[in-house]
Amino acid sequence: MRSALAVALAVAVTGAALAASTHEIKIEGMQFPHATVSVNRGDTVTWRNNDVVPHTVTAPGRFDSGAIAPGKTFSRKMDRPGTYDYVCTYHPGMKGRIQVK
Amino acid sequence: MRIRSILIALLAVPAFAFAEGPTDPQIAAIVVTANQVDVDAGKLAKSKSHDKEVKAFAQQMITDHTAVNKQAGDLVKKLGVKPESNATSESLKKGGDENIAALKKLKGKAFDKAYVDHEVAYHEQVLDAIDKTLIPSAQNAELKGLIEKVRPAFVAHLDHAKHLQMKLGA
Repeated sequence: MRSALAVALAVAVTGAALAASTHEIKIEGMQFPHATVSVNRGDTVTWRNNDVVPHTVTAPGRFDSGAIAPGKTFSRKMDRPGTYDYVCTYHPGMKGRIQVK
Repeated sequence: MRIRSILIALLAVPAFAFAEGPTDPQIAAIVVTANQVDVDAGKLAKSKSHDKEVKAFAQQMITDHTAVNKQAGDLVKKLGVKPESNATSESLKKGGDENIAALKKLKGKAFDKAYVDHEVAYHEQVLDAIDKTLIPSAQNAELKGLIEKVRPAFVAHLDHAKHLQMKLGA
């Protein structure tokens, strides 16, 4: 529902249906995906917390979700190209990477 | 070392061996109690420790085990299961109370070490119970699923506690 809304908003803002899409990243088993997730500039990334404990998605100096409760999501539109390493500040062993092209 | 042995002995006492395996209401009580005792220990450590990392670990235990218990509580309500205390949940509670009483007598580095040693032993013990008793015995699929989802959090906690234990010079 939320991602549909995010897509609708992205489409409305850019005015180009093909330009932006939404990517969902699952947080499961106290881990982010091991592989780098590549997205295009303007895409929206939604992290879904499937774990039983809260997590954060935090790229220092770039973005910080704050606590994402179990079963909840955090979405972020990726406006700037680059490679973003992020962690969960609660469980610093959890590391992920997003590449914005 | 002596304190650690005592704490491990206290934790080892729980009769995790059920003749027939615990029922779902008993499992619910074990899950809730196991989480609650670690929240309580975390609160004490957060207020008593002066070590930044120990305090951060304690906060993580409070946050995570509170979150797990909220979901366990929600599920139990949804399923209409009434948690039923049993030998295991009661000895977990007793072990938790005795741990708190022992920790309250300690200060500084001795406190940190005893708290972290107990966290390592506690998480090992609970993981053992999850694998050998709780998951195999759970009848309701959602209850079993919740325990399976809790497992990686306990593994992460155990790793974190062991890392701290090494730093504190166990």
